[in-house]
Amino acid sequence: MKVFVVDVAKCVGCRSCQLVCKDEHCDNDWMPYAAPQPDTGQFWMRVDEKERGQVPKVMVSYTPVMCQHCENAPCMAVAKDGAVYRREDGLVVVDPVKARGQKAIVEACPYDAVFWNEELEIPQKCTGCAHLLDDGWTVPRCVEACAHDALLFGEYEDFADMLEGAEALKPEASTAPHVYYLNLPKRFIGGEVADLEADEVIIGAEVTLTNKATGETLTTVTDDFGDFWFKQIDAAEYAIDVVAEGYLPRHVEDFVSTVDRDLNIGTIALYQA
Amino acid sequence: MSNEVKTVYKSLGLCGFGLGSNSAAVDVKDGKILRIRPMHYDEKYDMEDMRPWKITARNGAVLEPKTRTLPTPLQYAYKKRVYSKNRVPYPLKRVDWDPEGDRHPETRGEAKYVRISWDEATTIIANELLRIKETYGPFAVLAQIDGHGESKIIHAAHGCPGRLLDLLGGYTLQARQPDSWEGWTWGAKHIWGMDPVGKQAHTENLFKDIAENGDCVIMWGGDPETTPWGWGGMMPGRIESFFTEAGIKQIFICPDLNYAAAVHADKWIPVLPNTDAALQCAIAYTWFKEGLFDREWVEAHSVGFDWFEYYIMGKEDGVPKTPAWAEPITGVPARQIKALARYWAKHAVSIGHCAGGGLIRAAYSSEPARLEVCLLVMQGLGKPGAGQINFMDLGLFGIDDIYPLPRSECQPDMNSVYHGWAMLTEPVNFIPKTLIPQAIMNPPVHWSGGHVIAGMPAQDQFIEWDFPQPGAGELHMIWTDSPCWQTCWNGGNEMQRALRHPNMEFIVAQHPWLENDCLFADIILPTTTKLEVNDISADLFSGQYNMILHEEQAVPHVGESLSDWEAVGEVAKKLGLYEQYAEGTEDELIKKGFMNSGCQDMISYEEWMEKGYYVVPTAKDWENDRCHLRGWYEDAESERLSTPTGKIEFYSTALAEHYPDDVERPPVPHFVPYGESHQESMLHPRSKEYPFLLITNHPRWRVHANNDDNTWCREIETCKVVGPDGYAYEPLWVNPQDAVRMNLHDGDIVKMFNERGAVLGGVRLSERVIPGALYQDHGARVDNIVVGEFDRAGANNLICPSNTTSKNAPGEVTNSFLVNIEKVDVFALAEQYPEAFSKPYDQATGQIAEAVIIKEGE
Repeated sequence: MKVFVVDVAKCVGCRSCQLVCKDEHCDNDWMPYAAPQPDTGQFWMRVDEKERGQVPKVMVSYTPVMCQHCENAPCMAVAKDGAVYRREDGLVVVDPVKARGQKAIVEACPYDAVFWNEELEIPQKCTGCAHLLDDGWTVPRCVEACAHDALLFGEYEDFADMLEGAEALKPEASTAPHVYYLNLPKRFIGGEVADLEADEVIIGAEVTLTNKATGETLTTVTDDFGDFWFKQIDAAEYAIDVVAEGYLPRHVEDFVSTVDRDLNIGTIALYQA
Repeated sequence: MSNEVKTVYKSLGLCGFGLGSNSAAVDVKDGKILRIRPMHYDEKYDMEDMRPWKITARNGAVLEPKTRTLPTPLQYAYKKRVYSKNRVPYPLKRVDWDPEGDRHPETRGEAKYVRISWDEATTIIANELLRIKETYGPFAVLAQIDGHGESKIIHAAHGCPGRLLDLLGGYTLQARQPDSWEGWTWGAKHIWGMDPVGKQAHTENLFKDIAENGDCVIMWGGDPETTPWGWGGMMPGRIESFFTEAGIKQIFICPDLNYAAAVHADKWIPVLPNTDAALQCAIAYTWFKEGLFDREWVEAHSVGFDWFEYYIMGKEDGVPKTPAWAEPITGVPARQIKALARYWAKHAVSIGHCAGGGLIRAAYSSEPARLEVCLLVMQGLGKPGAGQINFMDLGLFGIDDIYPLPRSECQPDMNSVYHGWAMLTEPVNFIPKTLIPQAIMNPPVHWSGGHVIAGMPAQDQFIEWDFPQPGAGELHMIWTDSPCWQTCWNGGNEMQRALRHPNMEFIVAQHPWLENDCLFADIILPTTTKLEVNDISADLFSGQYNMILHEEQAVPHVGESLSDWEAVGEVAKKLGLYEQYAEGTEDELIKKGFMNSGCQDMISYEEWMEKGYYVVPTAKDWENDRCHLRGWYEDAESERLSTPTGKIEFYSTALAEHYPDDVERPPVPHFVPYGESHQESMLHPRSKEYPFLLITNHPRWRVHANNDDNTWCREIETCKVVGPDGYAYEPLWVNPQDAVRMNLHDGDIVKMFNERGAVLGGVRLSERVIPGALYQDHGARVDNIVVGEFDRAGANNLICPSNTTSKNAPGEVTNSFLVNIEKVDVFALAEQYPEAFSKPYDQATGQIAEAVIIKEGE
């Protein structure tokens, strides 16, 4: 069974995958696998971009998204006449002839990965470059183009080791996708601990993050710049406690929330004991 | 299906200058490009014969080349460039330009074009060349024949006109500046020599050294995930990922969270644009104050260190350059400056660049460039894991000394058949590229700074020069094959005015795409992209393996285009000079190129032709190459630097000799916020009227002005901001704090302006730029609302300073300058400027060729 593995932590957002997908499918006719994709407006492979945090604790996460080639594919469920089918290798393909007029196939996809071609009146999406695989290619265009190995393609067994912590893009959709995600972005809190009276950063301060709902804690130590980071944490309300030798301890909990966004908490000032 | 598909190989990098890169396999079917994909090195050769290399970090992380080439997104989308609606379809003549009558220079940039034949076009050009030579002499013709373009060799994108003009008795050359590294040239060379570029001139095995011994790389303005895309491939980004894996800290110091910082930074230190020199001074101050450097070592390796200390500690001007002093200037908290200084002093820290970064192309860029060297030297430049490293232009000019990755056995050399202009030849009559508008409008022009050509030795800078040279006159004609001056250089609006100057009787442009300076030409010749020609090329900048390619023609010429070489050849035919011009047939030249490449003994010509490419193996003994500056670090006497004293010159003896009173570039490097040449600083009263500093880096989805018409890039949501009128405006990043203050919202269209004019932009609220600064890519295609004043597309070079780096340094200033912004109503503007806002426009492509062409019968 073929699967894709997408390691979001390795993706640099170059969109080579998105562009080679267009290179392969726009103005190229791969019937019976796929009809040509319109020049613009469809993204059989897209990259979702998310700017996170506030100056100077900012990062950008990029998440490549294509057809998830689901085991329980909603598109297949709504398709009539077998217009969406699963190949022996597991790839889910829309038959461009049988699918004509079936807009429901577009609407059924919880990942917005199926597009409607107005001109041809067909739903279109990623084929896993099935036309190339059947011609001897070992991976689709997007995977070949990724310089950072953020996209992988192969037999499930080949990747079994790395898939232990893998996630689905939208677990709530319960479609059992054959695209496995690693390191999907969660939330972060970053900040700086400083002695503002001395105008010095505080190195080695112990910072504890407490999830106010669950009581779970994480602890880290400020680095050479007085910075601390809690990455890949839940969207939740938190409290922060800072302890450093020679300083009064400090407890912060107002507005320490990642419910809506990643957070640069800014400078937490400590006062000499 | 494979049977019908033909595959050819192309180096698709956009460096130009005869230097290929970013190679790809192009599959062709039925005369059309089917796909552009990576080449697999091992498709026709054994991997082992290439001698795959490996760099292993202390923690075991490994960096090695891939078995395939690493084209960038710009190459993958190149099909859209070849088949762009913006291609020049056939030769064009400006409708109101009459060589026999009224030439209407004043309508350039506005007047439309009519179709003419190649025969008619080349006859006009030939006649004009003869007339102008007869009337004014050959130097009245300005050749703008340099620049970053497609890496064609025989069919060179830039330079072919020069060959013909030489046969006609000469011309005036637009001298190619060290544009990407102005600060290194005009500043750093005077502290550490390091010819020809001014950056660390020995970087052999520097990446290996950092992997094995380094703790941290400070990316000071560089963006390895964007700038190298033009011709440095994806290896620079892979090196960043490798550093992360190797546990090597990456600190980014830049006003914008650039694309590499956004994914690779361990720490971002945002600094107000072009205040880096103040930050550097404060770091040095901390080291002096706290004794965090080896004075004995520094003094053994340098001269004039006491002068530097005198300035930094405030003895010279009464202002100690403390972190507290730097905080309000730079926006970096003093405690963070101290923390950085102390971290640096305790660790092996290198500084990384991609050519330069904004500070190196800003006003007074000589100063941060020199101060960077001061800092590197104070912390033992050349010690294990510490150097200055360029993530791109590996081995530039064919120099192995500046190849920081495992070296190839050779760098294939294309010079024997390269028809572009050779950068290091000495022209008789020339003008620095930065001074073109003055040379057209206000000759004579006098400057200090010598030939101003990238790669000239430092001493050349002390030659005073005049345009025109004795015996030469003013300019009356331009032949350009790099028609993007106004959207790439300093003071584009002034250039637009220059192109309309009544002295300028004839302008001919040749280009694949109808854009920018083309729209000011009187005759436009359509030229091919490299997919349409048969050529030879070398892949030099991949960081993996070098290659020499036989680049077969992939697809037929688009429209009536001819290659640049062929187009000029048609003019040569009209002048009876074709045979002297051409120097052989295409096939003969490809063979000659191969036989003189340096690879001719590694593989036979026949086998190379048949296979289409040859991969040069990694040098057998690369690990035994010298380790950049280690020997000099260990013994200052072991090597002379190319400064007058042979040592690091904290006090530049040459500047002191030639320009002792230059306060804009004094003998000891200074923080120079403003002066006689520039007032682009928050510390200057001008900032009351123009309270933002604009950062305008090399663009993410373009290479300078290249690729702005690419439909697949333009639809990326961060590439453009589509206004309420459907026009795709160039994004302008505004920090939410500034936006709130100014009541700006995501998607608003704003006018960005200063005394030099205005351009529009689409607001994108972003935490990737600091308050007080704005960010907009440079290089958008000019779309004038009012010529010389107001542009719709966001071509912000139009409002860059016209003045050069400083009084005695004629470099470009194209980054970090003062502007203001105000929200505009595009519908009101459309009423005010109905003509500009109603041009034919393609939603996906943007501006298109047909917008300026009068169809037959119209």
